Amino acid sequence: MTARAASTNGQGGIRASDAGLALWFALAILFLFAPIAVSILYSFNAGVVGKQTAQFTGWTLDWYPAAWNDLALRRSVQTSLYVAFWAALIALAMGTSLGYALVRHPSARVRWWLSGLTYILLIVPEVVIGVSLLLFYAVTGVPLGAATLIAGITPAAIAVTALIVRARALTLDPRLEEAAADLGSTRSKTLWFIILPQLLPAILAGGLMSYAFCFDNLVVAAFLTTPTVNTLPVYLYGSLQYGPAPSVYAAATVVFLFTVTLLGLAALCFHLSRKPGRARPGGD
Amino acid sequence: MTRHLLLPQGSAKRTGFSRRSMLGLLGAAPAALAIQSAFPGSALAESAGGGALNVFSWPNYFSNDSLAEYARKSGVTPNITSYDSNETLFAKLNSPAGADFDLVIPSSSWIKQMADRGLLQEIDHSRLNLASLDQSLLNRDYDPGNKYSIPKDWGVLGVVYDPEAVGAEIKTWQDFLDAGAKPGVSGKVRLSDSGWETIGMSLWTHGKDWNKATEAEIRAAGEEIKAFAKHVKTFAGLDPNQLANGAIVLAQTNQGTARAAIALNPKLKFVVPGPMSELWVDNYAIPAKAPNLDQVYDFLAYQLEPEVQISETQYIGFPAALAGLRDKLPADTKNVDLIFGGKDLDFDKLTSFVVDPATIGVYLEVQTEIQAAAGG
Amino acid sequence: MSANPPIDATVAHPGGGRANARRAAPARWVDHGFAAVPTLWLALFFLAPLGFTVVYSFGNSLFGAVELGLTLKNYQTALSGFYLTTFLRTVQFAVTASALCLIVAFPVAYFIARKAGRFRTLALVLILVPYFSSFLVRVMSWQILLARGGVIETILNFLHLHDGPLDLLDTKTAVFIGMVYTYLPIAIVPLFVVLDRIPGPLLEASRDLGASRWQTFYAVTLPLARPGIATAVLLTAVPMLGEMVIPRLLGGSRGVLMGQAIQSQYMQSQNYALGSAMAVLVLIAVAILVAALARLTKGFATVPA
Repeated sequence: MTARAASTNGQGGIRASDAGLALWFALAILFLFAPIAVSILYSFNAGVVGKQTAQFTGWTLDWYPAAWNDLALRRSVQTSLYVAFWAALIALAMGTSLGYALVRHPSARVRWWLSGLTYILLIVPEVVIGVSLLLFYAVTGVPLGAATLIAGITPAAIAVTALIVRARALTLDPRLEEAAADLGSTRSKTLWFIILPQLLPAILAGGLMSYAFCFDNLVVAAFLTTPTVNTLPVYLYGSLQYGPAPSVYAAATVVFLFTVTLLGLAALCFHLSRKPGRARPGGD
Repeated sequence: MTRHLLLPQGSAKRTGFSRRSMLGLLGAAPAALAIQSAFPGSALAESAGGGALNVFSWPNYFSNDSLAEYARKSGVTPNITSYDSNETLFAKLNSPAGADFDLVIPSSSWIKQMADRGLLQEIDHSRLNLASLDQSLLNRDYDPGNKYSIPKDWGVLGVVYDPEAVGAEIKTWQDFLDAGAKPGVSGKVRLSDSGWETIGMSLWTHGKDWNKATEAEIRAAGEEIKAFAKHVKTFAGLDPNQLANGAIVLAQTNQGTARAAIALNPKLKFVVPGPMSELWVDNYAIPAKAPNLDQVYDFLAYQLEPEVQISETQYIGFPAALAGLRDKLPADTKNVDLIFGGKDLDFDKLTSFVVDPATIGVYLEVQTEIQAAAGG
Repeated sequence: MSANPPIDATVAHPGGGRANARRAAPARWVDHGFAAVPTLWLALFFLAPLGFTVVYSFGNSLFGAVELGLTLKNYQTALSGFYLTTFLRTVQFAVTASALCLIVAFPVAYFIARKAGRFRTLALVLILVPYFSSFLVRVMSWQILLARGGVIETILNFLHLHDGPLDLLDTKTAVFIGMVYTYLPIAIVPLFVVLDRIPGPLLEASRDLGASRWQTFYAVTLPLARPGIATAVLLTAVPMLGEMVIPRLLGGSRGVLMGQAIQSQYMQSQNYALGSAMAVLVLIAVAILVAALARLTKGFATVPA
């Protein structure tokens, strides 16, 4: 978007430090993907007496139908996808709004309070949130369900989105908005056509991180799950102590591939929808 | 407590791999999930109707075969949700989240607390036949007359070890502590993460009753274990692989985990040390506000049928409460004695822990200190 | 609530005052809307429940319940020897792990933002993709990788960097590996966001003025990256303070950390009052960390013209 391309080949030629950086990056990718590769590989591991083993004992496809036939596991995956989707959507909207207000609210005092609020969201241990919510719902008599779980896991995701958006908004030049106003643009037009496109990468990153956060939420979810609403992490954590069956890896593999496919499709749509927009003056 | 170890021996034959189910999983599942994500409520509403049965249990604690059979017979598919500790179960039942549960599986240690707080309802014995159950598992201290609980299965606290690496026979908890301090064994020891199971070793050695020990006695016993803690490698759930590959050579654990480890490495031994050790019993119990009572009794009656009890035992690797179960298991069951905690398990030398609000905090606090003393 | 909200948003930018003065007055409802909607949501689903915790921390514990009161007894217990030690160890642990995480993350973020060229988006996506696989399953996979006879041992033996069985599982090293692993993407993202916004011409100007690459990095890039660093530290260190799963799965539950201690007060001792008091103390302590970081971010505002 900006002048990034210029610096890539700024001095011409590849330096040792650049090669070092590239190697470091490659190692980081290897590091990040190693456990995923392992979880996929071991979803085909025969194991011994139905247990996962560190040594690969032989290939089998049994764990995939076994995962499918495990009703509790299947249901927990459904619930997790559902809960994470809605929680991420809420967090995306709330977090963007909060992140922008953190930087641009006209009142310094309001910004001060909002900033305090954002940090409190992050510094409260999840276990405290979990118990507090359970007490809260008990006292207010709200019946637990998917909605209470979704509401309960959004705060941390909102904070993460807000901080990512804020980091980006902080680097925006305020004169951009002033210039737009000087040129007669209304505030909402400026927001929509100038600010939003600038913030978009951060917003999307925030939304996706929220999805991952919410899908993986364990501690708060552990307190708020009910007989009909139980998430995958809670199911997994429950089964950990007794050594989970390899079917868990099979389920995780399917969910991962599904999510990555969706991400890929989303990226493709985003890419396609942006292309014609290039011609418009909205860009840079 | 690490205990409910599962040995789903039937898993492979249970669900023979078929092309159709594979296709269903890879193709239909994501599609179905996508649709459910798009339409709020559809995924979660399905089980809320009448004739439901919501079971809150330890993970993977019912045989899939018998559940499927029950669903075929009754038309009701039990909806099973799982927890990882009695404490979680207690917290849930004690909150609005517990409102929908019909059947729960608390351990012997927590039955009394849950009953005292009015979280469980009395069981109508006229609707069930307990005559086929092992009488030594009925009418125990934690629930006289089985007012609130019916035994599901049971286990013991014992020691699994590699005789070669340890170089001694373990007969008492003192032997265990002595062996763990030896070079070559130290650093390869696993202790339970339950305060009463670690501190219990020392209490029993000194002839104390863990249900009657005073705070001072618990703390004094805890000091001994704290001094031992530097030899401990892990307090986390015991992975049988670690025992099989020699990363751990001496471990406090139940017979189910031991049996899995011995299946991987036959030179390991399991023993229930003296002078006393723990017997825990997991029980069927009905929450006070269970909404589907008729369904619960119907399901319980099914679970108590001898064939189901046998199938459950084979699936989870812990003995169900059926009387004379040992002789009813198929002859080809591997290491069958281990399911029952070894050949000559003496029930008179076993005691069940009962949570007492006055001392449970002390047990926990001392356990936290023990784990901290192990380093890190 | 009880903690002092740290100031740092006052930073916004030096030109803010001027901008506001010039801005048309009727537009303000937009700003209030942006602030009010998330605040209301959070007040309902976060602050109100949290209020209960603060109230509970002054109560008397009954087993599995709390009798409201006004006692400092819980705070006394929470500040007594053992828990204080636990707390200090937790802080030390989180700071170390967060620093390690940052050291690993910075070059990665720098590479993506400034060196990856047209593969930049792909590189960023690659960093984030693992995050969409279940956290618990990934940590369980680390158990397989780190176990005796596992992949790491095999590779190290193959490379002759190690000989014989390697017991990494259930060690402190394993916990650090797990911590860095888990929080790496979280650290990379904010760093990337700020590094991405540093104008290329600024760096070129620095070099044109005779600064070496390292001088440019130290004097231009690093200060400009400060808000990202502060955010990265915050996003990694704070959850590490409460981390329970990794120490349990990879560290054998040895050397109890604060998260586990609070959890067990709630879940095992059913002592909600003491657990609440410990939680409130953690909040206060973390607020101090945040205030320090806020100062770091504040420095940022003075740098760009």
